Amino acid sequence: MKVLLSTLFLVLSGLGSTARAEPVVVVSAASSLRQLSQDEVVNIFLGRYRRLPNGDTALPIDQPESSPVRADFYRRLVNKDLNEINAYWSRLIFSGRTSPPLQASSAADVMVWLLGQPGGVAYVDRTQVDKRLRIVMEFAR
Amino acid sequence: MFITHKNCPMVRGRLWHRAIIGAIVCLGLGTPALSAAQGLTALNDPPDLPSVSLHGFGTLGLTRSNDDNAEFVRDLSQPNGAGTRWTPKVDSLVGLQANVHFSHSTEAVVQVVSRYHADSSYRPELTWAFVRHDFSPDFSLRAGRLGTEFYMLGDSRLVGYSNLSLRPPPDFYGSLVFSYIDGLDVTLTRPVASGLLKAKLFAGRSPEKTPYAPGLTWDLSGSTLVGGYLDYQHGPWQLRASHAQVQFHHEMPVNALTGQPYLSAVPAMAMAGQSVRFNSLGLVYDQGPLNVQLMLNQIKHDGLAYADSKAGYVMAAYRLGAITPYLGVSRSSSDVEQLPVIGDVFIDKVLTPSLVAQSVSDQHTYTVGARWDFQKNLAVKAQVDRINGTPSSVFLLKGTESGGWDGKMTVFSLALDFVF
Repeated sequence: MKVLLSTLFLVLSGLGSTARAEPVVVVSAASSLRQLSQDEVVNIFLGRYRRLPNGDTALPIDQPESSPVRADFYRRLVNKDLNEINAYWSRLIFSGRTSPPLQASSAADVMVWLLGQPGGVAYVDRTQVDKRLRIVMEFAR
Repeated sequence: MFITHKNCPMVRGRLWHRAIIGAIVCLGLGTPALSAAQGLTALNDPPDLPSVSLHGFGTLGLTRSNDDNAEFVRDLSQPNGAGTRWTPKVDSLVGLQANVHFSHSTEAVVQVVSRYHADSSYRPELTWAFVRHDFSPDFSLRAGRLGTEFYMLGDSRLVGYSNLSLRPPPDFYGSLVFSYIDGLDVTLTRPVASGLLKAKLFAGRSPEKTPYAPGLTWDLSGSTLVGGYLDYQHGPWQLRASHAQVQFHHEMPVNALTGQPYLSAVPAMAMAGQSVRFNSLGLVYDQGPLNVQLMLNQIKHDGLAYADSKAGYVMAAYRLGAITPYLGVSRSSSDVEQLPVIGDVFIDKVLTPSLVAQSVSDQHTYTVGARWDFQKNLAVKAQVDRINGTPSSVFLLKGTESGGWDGKMTVFSLALDFVF
C-alpha cells in the first residue's frame, strides 16, 4: 500500500511539474534591492506591508489572470488557489483598506511597469528572466 | 478629535449625494475617455492615474427555519427575519463601490449597499465614503464615512464572497448594529520579530439607527464611537485584541414602547449619555487549505437597560479542491445585574424586568456548511445552524413577543455570493 501510494505520488507530482511554471520574484536590475525573504514577499503581494528593505515603497505587479505562473506563484507563496486569493482581496477592497497588486494585461506590460517604476516587484517564470531583471527571491525546490 | 457635521462639509447629506452622482457620471462617461487616454500616457506609467474603478459584491440568499415562534435574523439591524417559509431578506444584499485612485498612495472610496435593514426596506445606504492616504507604508489615514472594526473581520461582514461561512455567526456579530461612522482612523504598521504589528485607532459619530421594538426604531445618530486594536501577524497566525466604546446620544424609544413616561419614573434605565464597551480577542490560523478562527468578546453596559454579555465562536474550514466544508460552534450568554427599584410594584416586578429581559441571550449554535467556488468570482454556500438556547434567550432573534419560543431552532440557508 505504501509503495503504491508513493508511486502514485511520484507519478502525480511528475505530471504536475511538467505543466508547471517555476515562478521567481524579480526587480529591475537597476534597483538597489538584492534580496527579499518569502515573508517579505507575502507582505508585499498580500498588501500587508509594502516597505522594501532599501526603503522604497514596494509596487507589486500581478501577471495576467490567465497566466499559469500566477496560479503557481500564489500556490508556492501561501499555498492558496486563485479563488482564495480573490476572496482575500475582495475582503480588503470592500473594506477599503489597501489596493491589490497592479493588474497587468500581458506579460509585456509586467516588464514595462517593472522596469519603469521604482519599487516595482513582480514574479515571472524562471525562463523569462533576462539581464534587465534581478532575481530577489526563489522558492525552495 | 471628532469630525462633526458642522466643520466637515464632506459629511453633509446633499454633498454626498452630489459626490455619488459625480462618481456615477465619472464611471459612466469617464471610463472610455480614460482608456482612450491610456495610449497617450508615457509607456513607463503604470495604469492611468487618476483612475476610477467600479466594483461590486452581493449575495442572493434564501433562509428558513423550522420554528414559527421566533424569527431568525442575521443581526439586530434587521427588524424581522425568517420563519418557516423561505425568505431572501436575511442574507440577500448588493453593494456597489467606486474607487478613485489619485495616486498610488491616495484613494477615495464610495460604497452603497442595499440590504434589508432597520426601516424594513432595502433602501440603499451610503456605507463608505472616505479618502485614504498612505503617508508611508507604515502609516495611513482615512477620513469620511468608514467601516467600523469592533471585531476582527467586522468591516467585511456583508461581503459574503470574502467570508467562509454563509454569514458571520450571529451569536458573535449579531448584536453589533454599528456598521460605519463619520470620522477618521489611522493605522500604523511595524515589522516586529519577523511578524507584523499593526495598531489602529478610530473615532467618529454614528449616522445609523436600529430597530428597537416592532414598529419602533432607536436613533443612534450622533452617538460617539472610539476604538482601536493591536494586531500581530506571524506566518499563518494572526492575533488581535480590540476595544471599542460607544456613548449613546439619543434616548431609546422606551416611553413609546411602554405607553407611559417610564423614564421619568425610572431614570436609571435611560441610555442617552450612557456608554457601552466592547472588548474582543481574535485568533486566526490560516495555512494552505486549513482555516481556523477563534473569537471572543465581552460587552459591558454602563446603563442598566441592557444586560452585559459574552460571546465566542470557533470555526474550522478545510478546502478540498473547489469545495470547502466548514464546522463551527458559537455561544452567546448575558448577565443581568440588579435591576433598578423605585417602589412601584407594577414597574419593579413587571415592566422593568420585561424590558431588560429583551436583552437576554443564553444560547449556543452548531453550524455546518460548505462553500463551493464553482466559477471565478462566484461561490455557492449551503449551511445548517442548530440553535440550542433557553426560552429566555430572545435578544438575537425577533418576533418572540407572541410567546411559545422554546429557545431551539434549526435554520437552513442557501446563498450565491458574487463579486465583480
